[in-house]
Amino acid sequence: MNAFAIDPIRLAVVQKQVDHISQQMGWIMTRTARSPIFSQSHDFTCFVAGASGDIIAQADGIPIHSGGGGFAVRATLQAFGEEMAEGDVYLLSDPYTAGGNHLPDWTMIRPVFVGGRLCGFTCNRAHQSDIGGGAAGTYNPEATEIFHEGIRLPVLRLVEGGKLRRDLFNLLLLNSRCPDLMEGDLNAMFGSTRIGAERVAAMLSEMGVDCGLAYFDALLRYGEARMRAEIAKLPNGIYLGEDGSDTDCFQAMEVPVRVALEIRDDTLVFDFTGSAPQIRGFKNSSLANTYSAVYVAVATFFDHSLPRNEGLFRPVSIIAPEGTVVNARPPAPMTMNTVHPATDIIYACWKALAQAAPERGCAGWGKACYGLSSGRDAEGRVFVMYHWHGASGGGAVKGRDGFPSVGHMISLGGLTLPNVEGYEQAYPVRIHRQELRRDTAGAGEFRGGPGVDYVCEVLAPTEHAIRAEGVRRPSGYGINGGLDGAVGKLEVEELGKGPRPPPQYGIQRLGPSRIRVLSSAGGGWGDPLRRDLGAVLADVLDGIISEEAARDVYGLVLTRDGRAVDHEQTSLRRALLMKA
Amino acid sequence: MNVDEVAPPFRIGIDIGGTFTDIVVAGAEGRLLAHKAPSTPEDRTIGVLDAIAGAARALGRDTEALLRDTDLLVHGSTVATNTLLEKKGARVGLLTTEGFRDSLEIRRGLRREVWDHRTPFPPPLVPRRLRLGVMERIGAAGEVLKPLDRDSVLRAIERFRAEGVEAIAICFLNSFRNPVHEHACRAIIQQAWPDAWVSCSGDIAPIMGEYERSTTVVANAYVGPRVVPYLRSLEARLSGLGLRHPLLIVQSNGGALSVPEVAHQPVQMVLSGPAAGVGAIRYFGRDTGSSDLVSIEVGGTSCDVTLMRDGVVQMTDQLDVEGHCIAIPSVEIHTIGAGGGTIGHVDAGGMLQAGPGGAGARPGPASYGLGGTLPTVTDAQLVLGRLAPGPYAGGAISLDLDKAARAIEQYIAGPLGLTVEQAAAGLIRLVEQNIQHAVERVSIERGYDIRNFTLIAAGGAGPLHGASVGRALGCAAVYVPRLAGVFCAFGMCNTDVRLDRIRSWYKRLDEGQSSLLEAAFGEMEAQASAALARQGFSREAIQLERGLALRYPGQQWPVSIPCEDGLAVEVIRRGFEEAHQRLYGHHQPSGEIEALGLKVAARGHLPMAAPALAEVEARRWPEPLGRRPVWINDRTGTVSTPIHDGRHLLPGDAVIGPAIIDEATTTLLVEGGQRLRVTAAGNYLIEPAQKDGAA
Repeated sequence: MNAFAIDPIRLAVVQKQVDHISQQMGWIMTRTARSPIFSQSHDFTCFVAGASGDIIAQADGIPIHSGGGGFAVRATLQAFGEEMAEGDVYLLSDPYTAGGNHLPDWTMIRPVFVGGRLCGFTCNRAHQSDIGGGAAGTYNPEATEIFHEGIRLPVLRLVEGGKLRRDLFNLLLLNSRCPDLMEGDLNAMFGSTRIGAERVAAMLSEMGVDCGLAYFDALLRYGEARMRAEIAKLPNGIYLGEDGSDTDCFQAMEVPVRVALEIRDDTLVFDFTGSAPQIRGFKNSSLANTYSAVYVAVATFFDHSLPRNEGLFRPVSIIAPEGTVVNARPPAPMTMNTVHPATDIIYACWKALAQAAPERGCAGWGKACYGLSSGRDAEGRVFVMYHWHGASGGGAVKGRDGFPSVGHMISLGGLTLPNVEGYEQAYPVRIHRQELRRDTAGAGEFRGGPGVDYVCEVLAPTEHAIRAEGVRRPSGYGINGGLDGAVGKLEVEELGKGPRPPPQYGIQRLGPSRIRVLSSAGGGWGDPLRRDLGAVLADVLDGIISEEAARDVYGLVLTRDGRAVDHEQTSLRRALLMKA
Repeated sequence: MNVDEVAPPFRIGIDIGGTFTDIVVAGAEGRLLAHKAPSTPEDRTIGVLDAIAGAARALGRDTEALLRDTDLLVHGSTVATNTLLEKKGARVGLLTTEGFRDSLEIRRGLRREVWDHRTPFPPPLVPRRLRLGVMERIGAAGEVLKPLDRDSVLRAIERFRAEGVEAIAICFLNSFRNPVHEHACRAIIQQAWPDAWVSCSGDIAPIMGEYERSTTVVANAYVGPRVVPYLRSLEARLSGLGLRHPLLIVQSNGGALSVPEVAHQPVQMVLSGPAAGVGAIRYFGRDTGSSDLVSIEVGGTSCDVTLMRDGVVQMTDQLDVEGHCIAIPSVEIHTIGAGGGTIGHVDAGGMLQAGPGGAGARPGPASYGLGGTLPTVTDAQLVLGRLAPGPYAGGAISLDLDKAARAIEQYIAGPLGLTVEQAAAGLIRLVEQNIQHAVERVSIERGYDIRNFTLIAAGGAGPLHGASVGRALGCAAVYVPRLAGVFCAFGMCNTDVRLDRIRSWYKRLDEGQSSLLEAAFGEMEAQASAALARQGFSREAIQLERGLALRYPGQQWPVSIPCEDGLAVEVIRRGFEEAHQRLYGHHQPSGEIEALGLKVAARGHLPMAAPALAEVEARRWPEPLGRRPVWINDRTGTVSTPIHDGRHLLPGDAVIGPAIIDEATTTLLVEGGQRLRVTAAGNYLIEPAQKDGAA
């Protein structure tokens, strides 16, 4: 405990202030980074941590980075502890030894000193454009060891007492295929953490360091109190959840993620014992990433206004046995982990949580099956193009249908899909269709988001890198009586040569080709027979569902002209289906 | 102010807000008169005519006499925005390229609050059954890949007729490169269905991006059939009442335009109202002598932040209106939910939150006595003595101190174990922190140092926050217009007529471009000038500005630069690199640059109402009317504070803080350690007291 009485008003002011500092860091990063991945796709997260490494503010950033940052700060404290000095800046990435989540995300950690005393850290975790390894662009689907995935960074003291270690810096640049971008991006990371550190130091000086730190502690206690209050609303018990994949990237096999959630009063224990052993391919999770995934599951399940600080995690414990897909041993590859198994972990947790509080249950978002094409355009320039237009449909929650064809669940759909026109200008492609698929959305009182039928003619020879999930069985699971969304399908044809059936993971070398993504759909929430008749009718008129599905699944019978609800027949039909 | 001084010819600005319709009449010498009348949402014309009648009465005239002597009547209205917000627009049918009818609904996956995944997308303005594909295709270079199939258009028209469609929007892929199919499609529709209201995406927003183009053209078709008849009928009424000049309408770009011109692109009106603040900011720039201004306009529910740098108000290419993207050149206004009606509440973890919810005009703050029970910022101001109980907002409302104190006690002070004063002060602090952060965001994102700016505190509720927010931001000075409560209506008296023309121009920037660019700009300028000439502007009164949207290949967002120094490639390159450096902290020397679009802003200059500058003879230190206990800030706490009546403060007068100034449309707070003086134009400037040592 501390000697300072916490004034609730001041606490609110301090909370907003540290949130604002983490946001300012993000704006500076967006404004100064070189790679479009930051300035345009925002694949980074800025956060402020207290002196012991607990995150106190993370108002800015992508969901799957949340919850993992504390590992990096604590690893830095462990590595340098007492030696840490004013003017130092640290950089790390290794998920096995340095609190990283996966190799492409580099975390910069800048200690904040006030009056010679270590008071906290300002940090920036950011996905680099390239870190060497077996494939350009950080994702190597053929990796079987982490060494195939790029350079590994232990905790590096990149700046020592204000002086950049040029040798280390050059070593980093030398290991990237795009050193110019990396240099610019690292400079932006320096800038954002420096300004964050100045603001935190100024704030603490103004408040008095002891007083300020007492408020930092109070923020964590506040987050903890909010979380405990939410958990306490749930009934005690043990709830099981399972999700997973049907491939290890090389062959079809079951890769389950299993969780036993124990709710005891105001605490949660997520026990992943029984999950699949680590796999050959690059879909293994690090501990930091597993924590992040659980964090996303919890934060999205409860009230979204919960503060995003590490106090939230105090009532949550995680058991992740070593050697499994949720906590792999070296040298398992793991670059894909922020998508898979992160999505699988989130779904297992969501399924368990939904049993404790069905009202808040979240249906699954369809997992993606599209890949990326890379090659050279007519002028010989290299291009890399994700087939993002083939995004899957989102899952339903109570009160809203799933989002149609939206970005990955792990970014909560935060990724902005490109315009077709932008793609046709930038790449040698012609897109022929991007239209919602009928009768794919998981039925429910609230239905899932439909998948999309996307057809793209790629006019140049390319390498087509594929990672297809949710193609053999539904991935957008239904909840509380809602049904699963449709599976996805990827079709590839080499023009003039005929079909080239794609592997589930791997790389195809193609001449000019035609790629079709029939993306998977999201699951439904609740019994379809309870869906509002007006909503079912609208879906029929809008062609989201067929008349047959309306009759057979939703129990809605249309009038003869197909324009309205035949209420009498519908009542009969619904009564009949309810009995069945 | 002596109304006799407001002499013809008049310029009038009329701004319809949610609660009040504001009118400002500017006379020949720059003298001003402001008046408020209740808005009448069921028929907005009534509120406008009431406001005019009220102003006329105050001038000792009747409506006809006022309008007859009016040279300029500029009107801003939220009618288009409200049509969108209240979903009361026309039934629209959308025609797209076959295979792409769902772009509008997929909406690029854009969501405002990422973590809040339980909130649905706003429903698309056109349901899927009314989005129909047409057989046609234009390629990425503008070439025709598949000719327009007339039959598929005719089939769609039949369907639209059967479905009761009122307006048709057309958005074909790559029409920004070649609009031929959109125009041919429109011709087919007009032939088959002469009464149909049709708009083409390439005409409304000729930019790359089928999603942005389709939402914009759909919004245009959605608001058009509601907005245009209103404008036409209002103009007819006003000319029937004696107005001899065309009615001008404020657009999102901050400039005004005649009704027939606006009728082509009614979506231009979505920011009509707030965008008029630009006219006010420019005017105040003259009074303060500063060309770097940032304004906070705080009303009942929200705070609008607008920034002017070097005399140029920041513009944007896109707006978000309730989740609908509208891609038209607009004044950049950053809005947050912080106003007099913002509600304070204690969350489940025992933390005080200010907003985002608000009490609106009805029931409004608890102290309004209109049924509201939740504590708002206005209630806190009242409890802290910064507002006085009794008549408020020109007497339309009476503030009840007991109700305010009870609400704060019940919902904030009680749960947190604080006194009512502490709780009220806490709510004020939080809301001011939110405003401060919003201003910092606007400046940091653009790479400006806010300490070099003068803060304009406006809106009815803004001037109580200006002194404190300005101090927290480190601004050199805080400026409060005497007519802060009718900021936008005042801005309308100082607007120019403005037309923005954009053209897609997807080309690499290289040698040999200059002459092509010159020709294209010349053509756009000729069109824009002709449109202004039709509105009676002479050649000399027209000012043309060229701009280019540029980027490095692969970037998603272009950077817009002015082309005032000519079109030589190296000049353009330098301009782009400088802008890129300022915005993003770096540029690529000799990197390849792509052009995306050309812009021409054509302004028809209206003579600006010059501030009526008074001769300042000697500085006076006027005596206050009285004193009352007022909570000033954390440092000062509650002290007996002089209360001044703004009507008695004249140019040159000065007041040492702490002090409260009551104005007709607002109330100002001056903190201890600050000095307020009245500018030559009769407005207020608050500065740190030690500055210039005059105290």
